[in-house]
Amino acid sequence: MDLVARVRAGDLDAFETLYREHAARLYTLACRMAGSPEDGEDLLQEIFLQAYRKLGSFKGDASIGTWLYRLALNHCLDYVRSRRAKMNKLTETLDAESSFEPTARRETPIARMDLERAVERLPEGCREAFVLHDVEGFDHREVADLLGIAEGTSKSQVFKARMKLRGFLRGQR
Amino acid sequence: MHPTEEVLNAYADGSLTASEAADIEQHLGACLSCRQLVDELRDILRATSDLELREPPVRVWPRIERAIQLDRQDGAQPVQPGDAGTSPRLTGARVPGATSARSRVVLAGLAAAAALVLATVVGLRYLPGRHSDTAGSRSPIESSAQASANGAAQAVESELRQAEAHYENAIKGLEQIANAEQGALDPRTAATLQKNLAVIDQAISESRAALRSQPASEPAQASLIENFKTKIGLLQDTVALINEMRKGNEAGAARIVSGLKEKGN
Repeated sequence: MDLVARVRAGDLDAFETLYREHAARLYTLACRMAGSPEDGEDLLQEIFLQAYRKLGSFKGDASIGTWLYRLALNHCLDYVRSRRAKMNKLTETLDAESSFEPTARRETPIARMDLERAVERLPEGCREAFVLHDVEGFDHREVADLLGIAEGTSKSQVFKARMKLRGFLRGQR
Repeated sequence: MHPTEEVLNAYADGSLTASEAADIEQHLGACLSCRQLVDELRDILRATSDLELREPPVRVWPRIERAIQLDRQDGAQPVQPGDAGTSPRLTGARVPGATSARSRVVLAGLAAAAALVLATVVGLRYLPGRHSDTAGSRSPIESSAQASANGAAQAVESELRQAEAHYENAIKGLEQIANAEQGALDPRTAATLQKNLAVIDQAISESRAALRSQPASEPAQASLIENFKTKIGLLQDTVALINEMRKGNEAGAARIVSGLKEKGN
């Protein structure tokens, strides 16, 4: 019996196996989309609880990993949408703060943790577009569909994110 | 004339046409500042592609497991094929006991009070089932099997009473916080909370009754502790909800209420 069938039959060990196989990828996605490990942790818990409850909608057309990823992405998108209105003000503040005058180029390679922290600092809006496009590999049309924005907006948000990251990372030399 | 930053960005990620890219390359050969921007953007793209997966904290799975077990106590099982739609779109369910980051951004007074209360719980590690061994190691020279059994039973009862006292203190503290701020909740939400608390209180009473009739029963001990944890989780959610209401964060409050209703169904 495959893992999904075992979970449907009530086997919690099988669900834990699913969790162990996919949690890191979904947690990483959730942290980056939400912009903090704390929110990512909450989202991960919610995602797997929903996955357990909604396993009946898994038809087997795609892999269980793909199904979980879509479910996680939807959940993250719902979360960032609901938070967006509240965060608009903060975004404007950060936008005003972030002007990048040319300074000396950093000579050292970008450390992963520096980049992770810089991604977390990106304003709502451009962070999601950046994560979906540059990290998760969606093209701009897909990003636009997922975020409910125009394709041109996706491009400009990703551009904005990269420029902000450049500024943040320069500050960490 | 310099290309715009947008164009240099498009060049850096390879999305220009060949002829556009050739024009930019010609410019870059003579312009240090534009070349610097392109190099930095490429550094970022390279570093992004090297980002690694993060491992979630180990505490996450036990919380999910506990939430599923609570679901099962309510009779819920994974939905069978055909019982749900094909889209896995989600609503904002909450996990009992989750330390919500949203609830962490709280008003200072409530946060401090809740932290004091929860510190009592965090330090508590009551594990039904380990007591017999503990009692045995404490009294290796017990000559009588009956005396040993009695000693073990007493040790279990003593530890359980201690655990119960800790949980009750934590619950009392959280109840005080929640009750003091009840006015921040709308009547319907307050009623939902009261209903859920009543269900948990009933479960606690039943666990106690089971323990009275079978004091050594491990399932009964575990059930009582689990019910205490559930009550603490619900009270934590209540405090988080009050915070969100007072901050005017309707979206955050709606997510918590949604979770509370789901737990109550």
